[in-house]
Amino acid sequence: MTFAERMLKIDRRIIFLVIGLCTLLPLLYPVGLPIKISPEVRGVYDYIESLPEGSVFLLSLDFDPASKPELHPQAISLLRHAFRKNLRVVAMTLWVSGTGMADQVVTQVAREMGKESGKDYVFLGWSPGGTAVIINMGQDLYGAFPADYNGKPTKGMPVLQGIANLRDVNYAISLGAGNPGVEAWYVFGKDKYKFELGGGCTGVMAPGLYPLLRSGQINGLIGGLRGAAEYETLIGQKGKAIAGMDAQSATHLAIIVLVIICNLFYFSMRRQATQQSRSGA
Amino acid sequence: MIFLRRQVPLLITLITGLVFAAQYYVPHPASEQMLTSVTKWLQIIGGFALVLGVSSLFHVHAMKIRRKEAGWGYSFVLYVSMLGTIAIGLWSNGKEAVDGTMTAFGWIYNFMMVPLQGTMFAILALFIASAAYRSFRARSREAAVLLIAAVIVMMGRVPLGEYLIPLSGDLSQWILNVLNASVRRAILIGVSLGTVALSIKIIFGMERSYLGGGKE
Amino acid sequence: MPIEIIIGAWVATGLTLFIFSFLYKDNPLFKLAENLYVGVSVGYTIVKTYDTVVVHLVWKPIVENGEWALLIPVAIGALMLTRYVPKAAWLSRYAFAFIVGVGSGLAIPRVISSYILKQIEDTVRPLLVMVPGEGLTFTWNLLNPASSINTIIILIGVSSVLFYFFFSVEHTGPGKVVARTGILFLMIAFGAAFGYTVMARMSLLIGRLTDLIEFTDPSYGSPSLWLLGLTILTLVVMARRSGSKPEEE
Repeated sequence: MTFAERMLKIDRRIIFLVIGLCTLLPLLYPVGLPIKISPEVRGVYDYIESLPEGSVFLLSLDFDPASKPELHPQAISLLRHAFRKNLRVVAMTLWVSGTGMADQVVTQVAREMGKESGKDYVFLGWSPGGTAVIINMGQDLYGAFPADYNGKPTKGMPVLQGIANLRDVNYAISLGAGNPGVEAWYVFGKDKYKFELGGGCTGVMAPGLYPLLRSGQINGLIGGLRGAAEYETLIGQKGKAIAGMDAQSATHLAIIVLVIICNLFYFSMRRQATQQSRSGA
Repeated sequence: MIFLRRQVPLLITLITGLVFAAQYYVPHPASEQMLTSVTKWLQIIGGFALVLGVSSLFHVHAMKIRRKEAGWGYSFVLYVSMLGTIAIGLWSNGKEAVDGTMTAFGWIYNFMMVPLQGTMFAILALFIASAAYRSFRARSREAAVLLIAAVIVMMGRVPLGEYLIPLSGDLSQWILNVLNASVRRAILIGVSLGTVALSIKIIFGMERSYLGGGKE
Repeated sequence: MPIEIIIGAWVATGLTLFIFSFLYKDNPLFKLAENLYVGVSVGYTIVKTYDTVVVHLVWKPIVENGEWALLIPVAIGALMLTRYVPKAAWLSRYAFAFIVGVGSGLAIPRVISSYILKQIEDTVRPLLVMVPGEGLTFTWNLLNPASSINTIIILIGVSSVLFYFFFSVEHTGPGKVVARTGILFLMIAFGAAFGYTVMARMSLLIGRLTDLIEFTDPSYGSPSLWLLGLTILTLVVMARRSGSKPEEE
């Protein structure tokens, strides 16, 4: 076997080790390169900045623990921003396995910002049905969620005063890891009930949401860990996303180098094969 | 009997499909009330559907344990962990935290479910690197285009890439917002046309595979 | 640090490392963690579904508020479960027919409005843009996605990709040029999707390693360090025991 062939058939555990080190070392010894803000993330930030105090902000944490590293930092930054602007925060989730995580993040940030459940924010919890929940909330919020996650009746709650359904929401953001997610919130929500909608998503979902961003159906998009890092930069509070950016840089560079090397070996192998066939003929 | 088994379900699909498609265009309060009630029902039915989904899992692993097939020990672990979680969950009234203090159910969620699910998906990162090294070769012109676009986007979306080659940031933004957006838009339009066509076929009874259950 | 948090940290770290051990070789520790994962996830889903649906959406409204109409969806749901009784399985068709009928009916107008009409509307935008101070002009800024040049590129992209997927028309002559343009656009988009997928997967790994690093803290008893040593030891012993046979990938 030629050198090129041997290198192409290398034990994959060596590649695992390389990627593992590229992730671990920057986490232990961070550098902190500057992060450029993209217009997509700025769209969400500017809109929340423009909302007057007391506006209704709906945050739907539609993800499960598998997407926690990407969407949890986004949730924390958005909640910090919303509480700082004294918006009325209505949080919920459409994914059953994300309920515990969503409850924990809302409670944690609310406690940090000194906000009170029922007065400044409410966590509605989870309800089955996915898109049916969105339509039901659009028709009658109290029918979809008669009580919040802790069992307190939603009718008469100070934070929900004046809100009958989704038409009374000023800004909704869905942090989606799949279906139901941002798309479902648009198709079954904004299309009929006409509230302003923004999106946060995992890196896998992000390219697919650009058509909706371009057509104005969503007014901003926070994509993956990079989007979360940009948002943390905008609100001026460092978190896990900015801390992970160096490791992200290192691993991307590692993959690019691996792909380039693989192609170099591949082309050298092909050249050798054509040379051999020419000399053989 | 055939009427009850085959025609009535198709009739139900036809009527409900047409009624709710038309409902979108009828703003009358009665129509809106119907939408509110039925979507409320769908939430409850959705819960039953989840039960349906998991019960097949129960069945498969119960069979494995009963027949003592290879690996039945692991099925036993699955069963015990499932029943244990259910028991503790019901004991904690389905709550992960009460007034800020974590319950036993919350402990299982935070220290078992979250790490397990997170790590299952985290190891994919390493597999994608290994697969990229082995098979991401520019075998043709199209593959080369794919490769170059992937490298530009990977460079442009990390701070180090933008620092080393500032052009990669702008280029990746252009690729995402213009080229990628146009392709995804075309795919979205195409898939949606297909979805609408399939839904119409289902409503008019031309597509019956969703019925399942029972003979013919 | 409360004792249940310390025990939790050790359990979480252990389970994480069990799954990571799969990267070296498939082994019983990984299989144990895998089955534990499925069991706990399913158990959690069942508890949550019971608590939300049975207690809060059905029992309380019926018993406390007298909403007897909610017995109808309960009946439909129960019909769905007859799927497991072979003699009565045909009854489940009524439930599925209802759900699918309502779902399709709700989806059709909404999908047409959101994904087809709205998306086409944004594709066929005017080529001349009103610029304050210059009037109607053709803008050339590539970095602004709303500029005129980009509008043309998007229009070409959408039409060529849609044409490429139109397999009932033969892609010859001018059609071939359009189809090849479509393929070019598709490859670029797939490249971007791959780049973003790599980004997403790496983020997940970064997240787990961040948690593992957090658990190296002495206040938890440094479970990451102890259990990492134990795992490596176990894998070395396993490798030795499998003898001198060459490692298969």
